[in-house]
Parts: sequence; structure tokens; C-alpha cells
Amino acid sequence: MKGLLKGLAGAAAMAAVGFTGAAKADDTIKFALLQDFTAVYTFVTDEYNQGQRDYLRLINEEGGINGHTFEALIRDTGNEPQRGIEAYNRARREGAVLVDFLSTPVSRAAVNRVLEDEIVMITVLHGRGDASDGQTFPFVFPMMATYWSQAALLADYIDNHGGGLEGKRIAHVYIDSPFGREPVPVLRELAERKGFELRTFAYPSPGNEQSATWSDVRRFRPDYVILWGAGGGQPVSVREAIRNGIPQENILSVVWMAETDARTVGTDLATGVKRFEAVATGTDYPIMQRIMEKVIEPGHGAGPRENVGTTYYNIGVASMAVAVEGARIALEEFGTPLTGDKLRRGMEMIEDFDAEGMMPPVTLSEEDHQGGGYGRVSRWDGSAWEPVTDWFNAHQDIVWEEIEKDAAGFREGR
Amino acid sequence: MDFSYFFELLINGALTGLMYSLVALGIVLIYKSAGVPNLAQGAMVMISAYVIWMFTSMVGLPVYVSIAVAVVVMFLFGLLAERLLLRKMVGQPIIMIVMLTLGLEIFLRGLGPGFLGAAPKQISLGIDMMPIIVGDVFINREYLIGGAIAVTMIALSLLFFRTRLGTKLRAVSDDHVSSWSVGISVERAIGISWGIAGVSAVAAGALWGSVQGVDWTLSMLLFPAVAVVILGGLDSIYGVLVGGLIVGILGSVIPGYVDPLVGGGTRDVVTSLIILLTIIFRPHGMFGREDIERV
Repeated sequence: MKGLLKGLAGAAAMAAVGFTGAAKADDTIKFALLQDFTAVYTFVTDEYNQGQRDYLRLINEEGGINGHTFEALIRDTGNEPQRGIEAYNRARREGAVLVDFLSTPVSRAAVNRVLEDEIVMITVLHGRGDASDGQTFPFVFPMMATYWSQAALLADYIDNHGGGLEGKRIAHVYIDSPFGREPVPVLRELAERKGFELRTFAYPSPGNEQSATWSDVRRFRPDYVILWGAGGGQPVSVREAIRNGIPQENILSVVWMAETDARTVGTDLATGVKRFEAVATGTDYPIMQRIMEKVIEPGHGAGPRENVGTTYYNIGVASMAVAVEGARIALEEFGTPLTGDKLRRGMEMIEDFDAEGMMPPVTLSEEDHQGGGYGRVSRWDGSAWEPVTDWFNAHQDIVWEEIEKDAAGFREGR
Repeated sequence: MDFSYFFELLINGALTGLMYSLVALGIVLIYKSAGVPNLAQGAMVMISAYVIWMFTSMVGLPVYVSIAVAVVVMFLFGLLAERLLLRKMVGQPIIMIVMLTLGLEIFLRGLGPGFLGAAPKQISLGIDMMPIIVGDVFINREYLIGGAIAVTMIALSLLFFRTRLGTKLRAVSDDHVSSWSVGISVERAIGISWGIAGVSAVAAGALWGSVQGVDWTLSMLLFPAVAVVILGGLDSIYGVLVGGLIVGILGSVIPGYVDPLVGGGTRDVVTSLIILLTIIFRPHGMFGREDIERV
């Protein structure tokens, strides 16, 4: 009976991500991608998860890491912490060494468990910003710029490319939620330091109607607006901004602004809008070329071909590229079997990893799980998001003040 | 006081409210003929928008042809909902029928994104996005057209209930047994009312879908629509018009002045208060019929 179950488990592993025959089932490394496919994060999950699975498939097609292949455990949490924890417990029993919830409420609820169970939780572009403090959150890895870093970078872009911040009026227009309010302390601190006027404007969730908010924004006469929303509210924000006379070039957005949003606004109308970019888009990168050749062309892709190379797909690819790199280092340095703790230590040894040019160089350490807070600004050119800066980071001193303040609160049980 | 700001909030709020009325109209149409508060109307709006997108993007039809096709599809959907779901509930307590519509709402909300992908889709109606500017007042052109369509739909609904078929539907709403006894096909009448609600969902889905894109959040239009029907009266088409205007205006003007003071987010509070206060002080709404039963 036990043998039968083991056989079934092996078959399931082969079916899940593509078993190449290079490794035995016991050597499979399990990553649990327990995400919200049906509720709030649906605007990103499909593409993001598809990118993650396609990347793992690519690694498997290329023989894995010294024969160790990867299996993605996929489950829907519906953005509900209870379902997320249930899925997490099951994945942990199945041997997962890494978990990615792509949901702030679920990942926040799971923090104490992953710390206790010593399982790596990646919180790419979501979750707790203070988890960048690796000493307080040893098993949690934001891996990319937190919302604080994104706000600091966008402000710095205006400072350096928009004629300086001093004397400017900046409107922060956000969805009325903790996510929308998160960058406010950093922007306030920057307003004080740089001498610009900051005003915040909230709109109700989910953001399908924002006209009253924008009537107020227009009367503030902002030089720039920084949009802090996600999903369906984002194109509404851009349309309202344009309708209220704000030039597209002066509209900047948090990372959650993708090709679909630009198309909803209107591809021509959105031309000039800028956004924070964490990972390059398109397929002109070696990893993406190999995904096309070894995964998509042979028909092994995890989803629609047209998603390959989109913003959220590529973020998914990059998230797995960093995680697999951590696993590679861990196996080289600490040997098999790969455990959560070994994976953590492997990830903390990642240095200047840029996924073959797809993302800014990421360096993780015992102290810094954010990876430096790098990103760049890209601009919608009518058909695609084109970068207008190199990768850079900004005002990390202010960002780390916030990280340390909140991390201290976590340590003290606040 | 900045009067232009006030008027802008007032006008755009009224037009937004009329756009909510399009969603609310479906709820009233079903209640008025079947006596069932349909909590799946938000999801029907979402599905309508998905159907329009599907015929535009996947089949390649012009958007207005796709809307016409969606009208047929959603009318048939309404008939099917009655045949497969509602008819089986005859004789069951009303609360179970309400729960059935809630179940349908959840099912549909998963169905569209599940089959067609959860990423937002686009519908372009070709409406010029630039506002109409009167003095310092910016009027949202999309909402203006949406409001005009809402008023037209409401007027057509009023006329419909004066037709022979509409009269039958009103009779069915009053009393199923009596309607049966005089030869009215109650099942057919209820099916037609669901079909017409499907048609009004298409109008709402097309307009809201073009404004915000097509995704599951369209189903959340149910919340303001419920406020509209509770305020206006569940069985009143006039109520949809007046309720929509009031919900829209209060939901625009009050947050416009209060949000900057409290740091945002009061519109949902306003909508909730409208629901609570109406239920407490005038449970049948402004224009709804108050049924008094002798016991």
C-alpha cells in the first residue's frame, strides 16, 4: 500500500511540472505556489503563476540542478488566510521547502508559522515590507523592492527627471486600504526633506468609480500624480487623471500597472504614463528565449502563449529564478536533502543575480532580504512598456527607517 | 465655497447613480414580476461584459454587434435560470430562493474568470473620453451617455409594464395561485422577467466594462445597486430612477467634502447608511408598495 502511494505521488510529481527522468522522485524539490486564483489578486495571479511554472519547467527540461527537478504544488487560497494556512499545512506535509502566497493577508497570517517551521516564504511585491529585515524575519524574502522602495524611487525619478522636487505639488492617489496607505510615511518624509507639497487622495475599493476623488485632485493642481492601486482600479485612475487634465507624462504608478491596464485605458491614450518596473517585460532575454524554445514551442506551457513576456508573467519567472538560484547555492554549499533552512542560507548568499539581464542585480544577505530595493521607471509607448531609466534604488536610508520601525513592532508583538 | 466643485460632484454623482440604476433595474424587474430579490444581478452584469468581450475579441465581431448578441445570450440565460433553478424552488421559503440567487452569484463570479482568465479584459465603445467642460465643471462624457441609456431603459421598463405582457407579470408578482387560476403561465412570466433582467445586465456590463475593464470586480456593483433598490423600493421602477440619483449624489458629494477631512473612504459608509436608515425608517423604500397582511 505504501509503495502504491509512493508511486502515485511520483506520478503526480511528473504530471505537475514535467518530469524529465533525470532525477528520482525523492530528489524533487517542492515549491508551494498557494495563490489567490479566484478573488482579489486575480488581475495578476494567472500570468504570474504561469511564469513561475514555465520557469520551473524550463529548469526541469534542462536537467534540473544536478539532477534535482522541481515540482510546483498549486492550490487556490481565494485570498483567505484560513484556506491559505490549510493549503500551507498540506504543502508542508508534502515536503515543500518554499511557499509563495502572492497575497498580503495570507502571507501576513502565515509569517509566524513559516518562522516556526523553517520554511522559506517569498513575498515578491506583496506582504510585509518590514520582512526585508532578515534578522527579524529569517525565513521571509521580499526579494524585490518593497512599496516603500518603489515610492522612494518614483519620487527620486521626479527629482532627477522632472525638474526637481522642490516646490512641486505631488498627489498620491490610492485605493483606500493598508496597501494604498503604505508608502505615505516615506513620501511624507521625502516631502519634508525635499520641500515638495504632498497631498493624499483615497478612493473606495475596488476603484471602479473614482470621479469625486479626481474632482478634488484637479483642484489641488498637482504637478505629478502617483497612483497606488491594483487591478481594475488602475485604468480608471489613469482615465480620470487624463480626463482631469493631468498630462500622461506626469502620471506615475506603483508596480501594478500592466499591458492589460494600458489597453483598458486605450493604447494611444495611455502613451506617456509611467510606472515602477521590478522586472523587464518582453521575451528578448536569454531566459525567456529558452522558455520559448524548450517550454512554449514544444507545447509544455502552463497557460496561454500570449501571456508569455507580459509584465506579471516575467515577474513570476524572475521570482522563481531567484528561488532556484538560492536552491542551487544551497545544494552546492550544504548538500542534500534540501531543507527550508538550507534554502534560506542559500538565498542569503545570492549576490548580484540578475536572471541573465531580466531584473536588477539582487544581493540578499542575512540582514537584507529585500535585495537592495532596485527597480526602474518604464513608460507606455503606445504598444509596450519601455524603460526610461537604468536600474537604480533611492533613499534606502528612509526606507530602512520604516523597515526597522515596523520590524521592531513585530518583535515587540505590536 | 467653491460652487463649481459642488456642482461637479453633484452632476457626476447623479450620472454615476444612474449607471448604478442600470444594475438595480434588473433586480427590480425580477422582484416586480417574480417576487424574488435577485442577489446574482451583479454577477449577471459581469457575465454580460464577458460575453461582449468574448464576441468582440475572440469571434471578432464589432462591439455593437457583440452587444446585440449578448442581449440574446443573456435573455436566454435568464430563461434558463428560471427553468433550471427557480422552477425547482416553487413552494420553498423565500429565504431559500434568496440564498439560491446568492449561490448563483458566487458560481457566476467564479465561472467567467475561471473559463476566460482572470486578467482584466477590454471593451471599447468608442466614446470620447474627454470631459464636457462647462465653466470649471468637468462632466464625465461616458457617465453622461451611461446616464442617458439608464433613463431610456427605465422609461422602456415603465412602458413595458403597461403592455399586456407586463400586466401579466404584475399579476404574477401579486399572486402566483390567482394568476394560475386565470390562465397566466406563471413559469413563463418569471422566465421572461429573468430574461429582461439579463438584457438590462448587458447594458450595465457594456458601460461599466468599458469604464473599468472586464473582471470579477464588476460583480461588486451589486452593493450600490442594492442600496438603490432598497431606497427606491424593491418593486418600483420610478424608485430605481430616484434611488439611483440619490445614492449617486450622496455618494459623491458627501465623500467629496468629508474624505479630505478624515483621510478617505467614506462613500461605502454613505451607501451603508442609506441601506440601514431606509430599512429602519421606511422598509418598503420611497416608492415601494407596502404590503399589509391581515392575520
